[in-house]
Amino acid sequence: MKLNRMVEEKLTNLYRQGKVVGGLYRSLGQEGCSVGSAYALERGDIFTPLIRNLGAIFVRGGRPRDVFAQYMARAAGPTHGRDLNVHFGWISEEGSMPSVISMLGDMVPVLTGAVIAERMKGRRTVALTWIGDGATSTGAFHEGFNFACVQKAPIVVIVENNKWAYSTPTHKQTANPRFVDRARAYGCFGEQVDGNDVRAVYEVTRRAIERARAGAGPTLIEADTMRMRGHAEHDDMKYVPPGMIEEWAARDPIDRYERWLVGSGHARPEELQAVTADLDASLQADLAAAEASPFPDPRSGLSGVYADRRVRPPVPPLVAEWKRRKGRV
Amino acid sequence: MTDVIMPQMGESIAEGTVTKWMKNVGDKVQRDEPLFEISTDKVDAEIPAPASGVLKEIRVQAGATVPINTVVGVIAAEGEAVAAAPPAPAASAPPAAAAPSTPPAPRSPAPPASPQADGATGPAARPAPSQPAPPVPREPPRPAPSAVPPPPTPTPSPGPSASRADMTVDELRQTRSSPVVRKIAAEHNVDIREIPGTGIAGRVTKQDILTHIEGKPAETPMPGLTPAPPASAPSMTAAKPTPPVSAPSASARVEVVPMSPIRKKTAEHMVLSKRISAHVTTVFEIDMTRVDHLRKKYRQPYEERSGVKLTYMPFILKATLDAVKAFPVLNASVEGDAVVYRHDINIGIAVALDWGLIVPVIRNADEKNVLGLARAVNDLAERARSKRLKVEEVQGGTFTITNPGVFGSLFGTPIINQPQVAILGIGVIEKRTVVRDDAIAIRTMAYFALSFDHRIVDGADADRFMAHLKKGLQEFDESAL
Amino acid sequence: MAVLTYLEAIRLAMLEEMVRDERVFVLGEDVGTYGGAFRVTAGFLEKFGEKRVIDTPISETAIVGAAIGASLMGMRPIAEMQFIDFVSCAFDIIVNYAAKTRYRWGAGVPIVIRGPSGGGVHGGPFHSQNPEAYFMNVPGLKIVAPGTPTDAKGLMTAAIRDPDPVIYLEHKFLYRRLKEEVPEGDLVVPIGKARVARAGKDVSIVTYAAMLQVALEAAEAAARDGIDVEVVDLRTLLPLDEEAILASAAKTGKVIVLHEPTITGGPGGEIAALISERAFEYLDAPVMRVAPPDTPVPYSPPLEETFLPNAAKVGEAIRAIYDY
Repeated sequence: MKLNRMVEEKLTNLYRQGKVVGGLYRSLGQEGCSVGSAYALERGDIFTPLIRNLGAIFVRGGRPRDVFAQYMARAAGPTHGRDLNVHFGWISEEGSMPSVISMLGDMVPVLTGAVIAERMKGRRTVALTWIGDGATSTGAFHEGFNFACVQKAPIVVIVENNKWAYSTPTHKQTANPRFVDRARAYGCFGEQVDGNDVRAVYEVTRRAIERARAGAGPTLIEADTMRMRGHAEHDDMKYVPPGMIEEWAARDPIDRYERWLVGSGHARPEELQAVTADLDASLQADLAAAEASPFPDPRSGLSGVYADRRVRPPVPPLVAEWKRRKGRV
Repeated sequence: MTDVIMPQMGESIAEGTVTKWMKNVGDKVQRDEPLFEISTDKVDAEIPAPASGVLKEIRVQAGATVPINTVVGVIAAEGEAVAAAPPAPAASAPPAAAAPSTPPAPRSPAPPASPQADGATGPAARPAPSQPAPPVPREPPRPAPSAVPPPPTPTPSPGPSASRADMTVDELRQTRSSPVVRKIAAEHNVDIREIPGTGIAGRVTKQDILTHIEGKPAETPMPGLTPAPPASAPSMTAAKPTPPVSAPSASARVEVVPMSPIRKKTAEHMVLSKRISAHVTTVFEIDMTRVDHLRKKYRQPYEERSGVKLTYMPFILKATLDAVKAFPVLNASVEGDAVVYRHDINIGIAVALDWGLIVPVIRNADEKNVLGLARAVNDLAERARSKRLKVEEVQGGTFTITNPGVFGSLFGTPIINQPQVAILGIGVIEKRTVVRDDAIAIRTMAYFALSFDHRIVDGADADRFMAHLKKGLQEFDESAL
Repeated sequence: MAVLTYLEAIRLAMLEEMVRDERVFVLGEDVGTYGGAFRVTAGFLEKFGEKRVIDTPISETAIVGAAIGASLMGMRPIAEMQFIDFVSCAFDIIVNYAAKTRYRWGAGVPIVIRGPSGGGVHGGPFHSQNPEAYFMNVPGLKIVAPGTPTDAKGLMTAAIRDPDPVIYLEHKFLYRRLKEEVPEGDLVVPIGKARVARAGKDVSIVTYAAMLQVALEAAEAAARDGIDVEVVDLRTLLPLDEEAILASAAKTGKVIVLHEPTITGGPGGEIAALISERAFEYLDAPVMRVAPPDTPVPYSPPLEETFLPNAAKVGEAIRAIYDY
C-alpha cells in the first residue's frame, strides 16, 4: 500500500512538472481495496486493474520502474509509448493481466470470456477485477456480469464504492446505492467489506476466489471506501461536502494497518520507517532510470496494427514520388 | 390472369424447389387455399393461392428448382377466355409451318436480312395469330454482323501507337497529361506532345498549355506586372527533371533552368495581361527642370527635419495622383460589361529585385502629401529589398508606376498590371537640348510613357491625363512641399 | 462583437438557445454540478435548474436513448458524450434508432449529440478519436465539425434548431486555443454549407476542424514561395457541401483533402470520389489525401506528432501537387 501511495505521489509531482502528460488519476485512500484483494490471487490467476488499482499491479509483480516509464511515455514502458497510465497488460503462465481500456465495464465480459476459456482447457483459473460505483451503470457491465453469472464463471468483481464518479455522487448514479444487492438480482454471491481495512479486504476476496475456483460462480464484493482526491489531478473536488474528506481521512487504510501492525506486535515503528525509507530510495532510483530513458523513435508507432500485414505508408504517394525525383536532381 | 410465383422465404434465399402441386390444371382454386409446396435451404412451406379461379397452367413441375419470383403457374379468373398459351421455353419444338430457311431470329434489334419463308417481313418475333411463333432460340443469340461493335481500338491519341496498357506512367503523363489539359488541347486542336512540359516527368501542365496557346511570349520584357506574393525570396523549386519535349536535348551548349515560381507567375501574368487588355502606349516629353530645382532646394531640409531622402518619385507621384483624380477612368477596371471606378487610389511602384519583380502598393496615396509619399516610397523600397513586405502591401493596387529609366531606357511600352487599366513608365531623366522661345536651351527632360487599356480608356482620355500630368510637373506647386 | 474562445462560443450558443426555447435541455455525465468535464456547461445548473441540466449515470446508451425519447415528445435535448470516443458505447441506439426513425415512421428526432473530439493533447487512444467516418455512412444523421469560434456558435444554434439528429464534433484542441470576435445575437451557420477560409487559385485544400488551422498555416508558408492556396473549410461533413467542393476543384484543378481521422475509410475517400465523378474534366493532378496513418492514436508525444498531419507535411503535399 505504501508503495502504491508513494508511487502515485511521485507521479503527481511528475504530472505537475509536465513529465507525465495527459492526465493523472490517483487511488489515494483506496489502496486497501487494490492491495488486500490482489494478495488473495494465486499463481496463474488473471486480474485487470483499473485506473485506481495501481497497488494490485505491484502485488502481482509489476515494477515501479516500468510504471514510471509507462506514465512518462518512454520507449521502455510496457506499451512503448502507445498508450498511457495503467493501460498495459501481459499474458503469461505466471498470471495474466489483460489490459483495461477507458470504456468502463468492458473488462467484465472480457475477463468472463478469459476464465471460460481457461475452464474449457480444464484449468481452475480465477479472474479478479475492480469497478467503480459509476461504472456499474454501463451496459457493458450489466451484459458482462449477467453473462458471468449465468455461466457461473469463476470471476470476482469488487465494486469500489468510493462515493463519486467524477462529480456524480452515488445517489445520482443509481436508485439503490447498496451495490451488494445486485448480487441477488444477478443470481450470484455478494459480500460487503470495509474497503479501507486491508486485512478484511484480503479475507473477503480470498473467500470469494476460493468459491469461484470451486465452481460456485461469481461474487460481487462491495468495498466501502472514499476517493480522497478529485477524479484526476486537474479536478479540485469542490463538489464534495467539506466534512466528508475529514471523516474518511480518519479511516485511512495505511494508517490503520500500521497501527494494527504495531499494536499487535507484528512490527515496530522503526521497522515501518525503515520500510518506507527503503521504498523511497528504490523509487528514487527507479524514477531516475525512467526519466533518463529515451522517448520512442517517432516512426515506431506505425507497426503492430496487424499480425500479418503492414498498414500503408503515411506519406501520400505523390509526395513520395516528388521527394524521390527531387533527390535525384 | 394471375401469375403464381416462387416466393422468397428468407433474406438470403435465391431459389426454391417445387415439391408438390396440390391442384391440377383445370381445378378450381380459392384464394389462400394451399396450392403447392416448396422446399428451400431454410424451410419447407405450403404456398397459398394468390387469387381465386381456375388453375390454368403449371409451368414448373414438381421436382424442378427455379429462382425466386419465377412464374410457376397461372390462375385464370372464372370465365376468362382460354387463349393458346405460348409454348413453354423448355422445349424447342420446330414450328409446324414452313421452317424458315434463314437462321434463327437473333435477339438483337436488327431484323433478319431476308424475309421469312412464309412471306412475313419485319421483326421476327411477332407471331401471326394462326401460326406458332418461331421458336425462341435457346443458344445464345448470334449477333448480326452489323451489331457487333468493332474490337476496341486505342483512341487515336498523340503518342506511341501502342495501347494505353502498354505505356508507362511517365509516357502517359507526357502524352495524355490530365483531363483539363486534354480538354484544352482538344478545344484548341493542339497536340500535347508538341508543348514543352514543366510538370512531373515533363508533363504538360494546364499553365503550360495555356501559355502555349497564348502564342509568343511578351514583346518587351518590361517590368510592370506583379506576381501576388510578397518579397521574400522564393526558394528554388524542385528542378524539373526532364527538359521540354521540343527543345534540343541538354548538352554542353544548352542549359535548361526550370523557372522559379515568381518567374513562372510573372511569365503567366505578362501573357495574360496582353491577352486581356487592348494595350496602347502614348508618350509625352516632360520638362523636369523645375522639379529638379525643387528637389535640390528641399533635399537637405527634408533630410534634416524628417530623415527622409527626397527623390524624383514623390514629385512624380503627387502629380500623377492629381491627374488620376482628374481622370478617374485611369483608376478603374473592367468587370464583364461594366467599368468599375475605384475611389481609393492605391499606387503601386514597381521595384526590380535580383530575383524578380515586385510592386509594393501605397494605399490611399492621394491622402498623403509629398513628405508622406517620400516616406512611403523609401520605406517600401527598402523593405522590398530586404524581403520584409507584408502580403497586403503587394495587393490591391489600382494604378502602377514603373521606372525603366533607372536602367537608361528612353521610354518603354510597359504592360498593364491586371486588373488595372493603366501603367505609367518613366524614362531616363537627363539633360537634353530643347527649343524654348525659338532658342536652344538645356533642360532636364524625361519621356513618360503611359500604356492604357483602350477598352475603356480612349486616346483622348489618355492624352488629356498626360497633359495634366505634364502641366503638374512642369508647373509643380512649391507650396505642396 | 465579443471576443470568445471556441469553447465559450459553444457554451454561449447553448445558453442562448436554452433561454430562448424552454424545450432545450442538457444531459450527460458531470454536466450539472461540475459544469462538464471541460466546463462547457459551467453555470448552466445554477441558471436553469436540475430539470433542464441532468447529471446522468455513466450510461451512453441511456443518455442518447433518453434524448431520443424526449425529442419524440417535443423536447430539444442536447446529449453530451464526455469524450466523443465514448459515443461508440451508444452506437447502436444512434444508428438504429435516431437515424432511422423519420424514414420508418415519420417521427423526427431533433437531438444534438455533442462531445470533444480529436487529438494533439496527449490523450492516448481513447481520448483522441475522430468518429465522423463511421457515422457518415448512416443515412438519417447529420454531422458538423466547426473549425472557428464563430462557426462553433452558429453551428450549435443550427444543430439545436435542426429537425434531425445532429452529431456535433467539438475539437478539444481548439477549445481554448482559438479566440476571435464572434458576432453578437442570433447567429446561425447553415448546416451543409462550407466556407472558403482563404481564396486562392493554384491549389485547393479541403479540410475542417483542427486541420483548418494547419491548412491555413501551410498556405501562408506556400504564399511566400509564390503558390496561392485556397482553403475550403467544410464545417459540415454530412451532408457535404458538394457545390463548394466541386467549385474549388474546378477553380484550381489541384486538390488536397486534409483530415484528422485515419486515412483508410476516412472522409477524404468520399470527397475524392465526388471530385473524380463530377469535376474530372477540371483536374490537372490526381486528388491527394493527407491524413494520419492507419493506427490508433498513440500517446507518447513523439509518436503522436508523427501520427498527426502538420503544416510541414501539408507544405510538402502542396509543393508536390503544384509541381505535378
